[in-house]
Amino acid sequence: MNISRQIDSAGICTLTFDRPASSANVFDRATLAELDAHVADLEKEPQLKGVILASAKPKIFIAGADLKEFVRAPDADALGEIVDLGHLIFTRLAALPVPSVAAIHGVCLGGGCELALACDWRVASTGKVTKIGLPETQLGILPAWGGCVRLPALIGLPAALGIILPGRQVVGAQALKLGLVDELAHPEYLHDAARRQLTRGKRVVHPRLFSGSRPFKALVSAQARRGVLAKTHGHYPAPLKAIEVCAAALGRPLEEGFVLEKVAFLSLLETVECRNLIGIFFLQERAKKLSVPAPAVAAQVRRVAVVGAGVMGAGIAQWVSARGIPVVLKDVAPDALARGLHTAGSIYREAVKRRVFTMTEATAGLDRITPVCADVPLANVDLVIEAAVEKLEAKQAIFRDLETRARADTVLATNTSALSIDAIAGGLANPERVVGIHFFNPVHRMQLVEIVRGSRTSPDALATAVQFVKALGKLPVIVKDSPGFLVNRILLPYMTEAVRMFRAGGGVAEIDRVMLDFGMPMGPLRLADEVGLDVAQHVAADLAHRLAHPMPVDDTLTAMIAQGWFGKKSGCGFYLHSGKAPGARPNPKAAIARGAVVMRPLEAARMRDRLVLIMVNEAARCLAEGVIEAPEDMDFAMILGTGWAPFRGGPLRYADSLGPAEVVRRLEVLSREVAPHFEPCERLREMVAAGARFYPPETYSRP
Amino acid sequence: MKAPLYIVDGVRTPFCKMGTALASADAIELGRSAAAALLARTGVDPAQIAEVIFGCVGQPIDAPNIARVIALRAGVPTQVPAITVHRNCASGFEAVTQAAEKNAAGQGDLFLVGGTESMSRYPLLYNESATRKFTELSKAKTLAQRIARLLRFRPSDFSPRISLQLGLTDPVCGLNMGQTAEVLARDWNISRDAQDRFALRSHQRAAAARGRLAEEIAPFYPRGSHAAVAVTADNGVRDPQTLEALAKLRPIFDRHGGTVTAGSSSQITDGAVALLVASEEGLRRTGLKPLGKLIEYAYAGCEPARMGLGPVFAIARAEAASGLGLADADLIEINEAFAAQVLACCEASASPEFAKEHLGRDRPLGDIREEILNVNGGGIALGHPVGATGARLVLTALNELHRRGKKRALVSLCVGGGQGGALWLEAVS
Repeated sequence: MNISRQIDSAGICTLTFDRPASSANVFDRATLAELDAHVADLEKEPQLKGVILASAKPKIFIAGADLKEFVRAPDADALGEIVDLGHLIFTRLAALPVPSVAAIHGVCLGGGCELALACDWRVASTGKVTKIGLPETQLGILPAWGGCVRLPALIGLPAALGIILPGRQVVGAQALKLGLVDELAHPEYLHDAARRQLTRGKRVVHPRLFSGSRPFKALVSAQARRGVLAKTHGHYPAPLKAIEVCAAALGRPLEEGFVLEKVAFLSLLETVECRNLIGIFFLQERAKKLSVPAPAVAAQVRRVAVVGAGVMGAGIAQWVSARGIPVVLKDVAPDALARGLHTAGSIYREAVKRRVFTMTEATAGLDRITPVCADVPLANVDLVIEAAVEKLEAKQAIFRDLETRARADTVLATNTSALSIDAIAGGLANPERVVGIHFFNPVHRMQLVEIVRGSRTSPDALATAVQFVKALGKLPVIVKDSPGFLVNRILLPYMTEAVRMFRAGGGVAEIDRVMLDFGMPMGPLRLADEVGLDVAQHVAADLAHRLAHPMPVDDTLTAMIAQGWFGKKSGCGFYLHSGKAPGARPNPKAAIARGAVVMRPLEAARMRDRLVLIMVNEAARCLAEGVIEAPEDMDFAMILGTGWAPFRGGPLRYADSLGPAEVVRRLEVLSREVAPHFEPCERLREMVAAGARFYPPETYSRP
Repeated sequence: MKAPLYIVDGVRTPFCKMGTALASADAIELGRSAAAALLARTGVDPAQIAEVIFGCVGQPIDAPNIARVIALRAGVPTQVPAITVHRNCASGFEAVTQAAEKNAAGQGDLFLVGGTESMSRYPLLYNESATRKFTELSKAKTLAQRIARLLRFRPSDFSPRISLQLGLTDPVCGLNMGQTAEVLARDWNISRDAQDRFALRSHQRAAAARGRLAEEIAPFYPRGSHAAVAVTADNGVRDPQTLEALAKLRPIFDRHGGTVTAGSSSQITDGAVALLVASEEGLRRTGLKPLGKLIEYAYAGCEPARMGLGPVFAIARAEAASGLGLADADLIEINEAFAAQVLACCEASASPEFAKEHLGRDRPLGDIREEILNVNGGGIALGHPVGATGARLVLTALNELHRRGKKRALVSLCVGGGQGGALWLEAVS
């Protein structure tokens, strides 16, 4: 029983969605069938005056269609059937002789939104949890239960594309402005508002004469296409398809629009992009459910101390405080704290500008950060996150001090990106409470957090870290304490290889272009500038020192650093970051770092293989060494942590798409013709010998 | 007092002259900063606090009951109540003594108290005529009415009333605070030179005490500025201050033969202080270690035009209650509202006639020895954020007792409107 029905004496029927044993309502076959049965009954109800659709869940109206059902569908026919079923039932509801209204409180996405669109009227609650949208394109598909047809008809083509193309979700007030809902009400008065809307009767649809005209639609479509292509470099077919369908369906009879939707939907589902994007969705869901199995107990983290007010410490303090948790921010000098608070304050200010927070919320957030220079009692602190300088002796001293002052059950975490957890915990009486919680820069943007398990880290400490990171709204991945952990271990060889290519005569823009075309959010040399050339050089040298298969590091970066070029922070690196259009022009003087090297033009495909396969090779090694447990962890971490071309599904998924044999073949060519460090790793060779792949064929990660 | 009140710890923001380093912050933000720093420094669980009591003289219009706003913003949980207290310049004392009273009445054993003042943020006000015209304008219904009422405004309606000036003027005797100091200078024949010398000594002592005072300061971090700034020290102390420079200043309260200058008056300053105070039971319950304790206190009224003598009346009352006299004090703090006023207090304390006539006692209070009076400087050098000063005196005196390994301090201040307050403190080792 997913839907309950009540009809009051006035003839108003309320259909309440309440999926048993779940915090969310979703549309699966059973729910669709139930809805159909209710509507069929209502058709026979003589006294019926109106229908209200509501949810009994506190935070969710209807979260969308049950993705698992689509994934499990045996073939295109079965999928087409589900699409038809949705069209049929929603239209049947819309065709009732009495008015219908969706009373939306909580998340109303995808199929839930499309159901609401099929109603005559919509009212939304003012609650912050209310978010309305059609996120299908983010999964590589498009709204196919009437969303592409009904939304443009309701709010016009430009506004509809503004929602559908980016998969944007709007809160009640924005929805009202867009005309997506007809009235806004406090959750307590939502039902009354819905009844008020019913008195308006059935909605009369006026044809859009101008905005439905061919020239107008062509103009809007062309503009939208340009916008999409500029963002996606043509890697994502779904938004383009959505533009076509929305424009074509507008002004046509519903049924014709439905057919267009269905055809487009089924063709998109066939694409590799879609499969990989849905795979990522499942991986995110998996990360949200990640936990350390019992008997490990995660401690509740009510108060946090962050040691070190640098960019990372301040970023962590800001994010933690924004989640309602008080933070003591410790550094040795007031000036350092001033900079840290300034950083946190700027992040909050920016968020207020983007309307993520109100001014009051931002002030309350900053209020939760208490700066301290002196050693303060830590009895109330449940978790300490150290984010001080990346020097082992300094960190060890901090942890020795923390151990004596923190409560015995306080988890001591380090945000180190390079040092070994075991080494940091080395001199402690209780090394088992030390764990790595590695945030990425900038903390407020990067969703991935590496949780590093030292060899002596206790399950409880690990569980607390995982629980805490999830409570922060970040996505955790558990990795073994090994050099570079996961993301840096893969990224550094990639950046170093790009630098080697630059040294061999490659142009800065050309090298980055190759990776942008591959689908990376930014090229490797620009990434080096963002990270800071000194940091990149330091981490690369450190990894070269500690890894069994180190990557040769040349002195190009050292030469650049000697010029005072540290990347973005110093205004100059591989690119110029100052003056007009900062970051747009390559540094014309960078070539001096090449030394006396003969310029050789590099071929794009060769460049791509060098940059990508070096990551694949390293990823395979990580898997073999047990840095992570499953290939999913790797692909998930790289996509979420670095923006690794999502539609390609991550380095290991990409390796599978080429086939391990092809990967090994290309690596062997590279190791012969470029440098020996391309030598394919043991794991890849074994896989070729066994005819194995990283993933079982044709599966989504964890449906 | 029935039972002592223990002062666990305290911290303050730097004290900065009006319109300088702290001007971007309001009294709420100053108080919040001090309170949060204190909570972190003591490590106390804020849920253990029975009540938050803050003094503030010029409460911001946007924070009625500023103590409640400070409490919530400093992370004190919602169930803990808060009250703002106002005894003019003794508001910072009042916060402490009210905690003692609440404790004696069985209304709690652990309090977050203090005082806060942003004298930079004292607003300018529309005068009465403009206020009336604005009210009429807001009631206008038609455009014609609106225009007619707009035309009634005169340029003089827009000359503001300066709330700071109004607040520093006694509404009963009509004198401003500086003029009451002039009265005392005349009464007690306190020369311009004596005042300047006193002022100089305040600066010299405060300059020498910079390192010591730093121990009670938690840096303040102004928000919203373009650059990252940490305000770490008081900025009112002139180092070096000279007699010559002081002698050049013109009297500002009485142009005709007056002796009180800006240099011999307390500075107009922004700042906040927070103290954590507890009863013996509160200490037991929380395991906190105290810095010292309040063993007796008294407030006394006096003539508004001679409000500067308030400390003498209050000290006399405290002696009557506790038997502790000036000779029992290892340190004495008399807030330096004006040099003339502190010097007049010294004179009055030593005067048998004054004792007989005004205090109803046959012997004077005794000598206030210069070497134990305001040893780290006072309001003339450090500034006098009116709502916060009382709490600072308590904190500074207790810290100094510890540094000197001494036992007792008498801290007092005069109060606009004609009052004095005096607190007896004892160090706890």
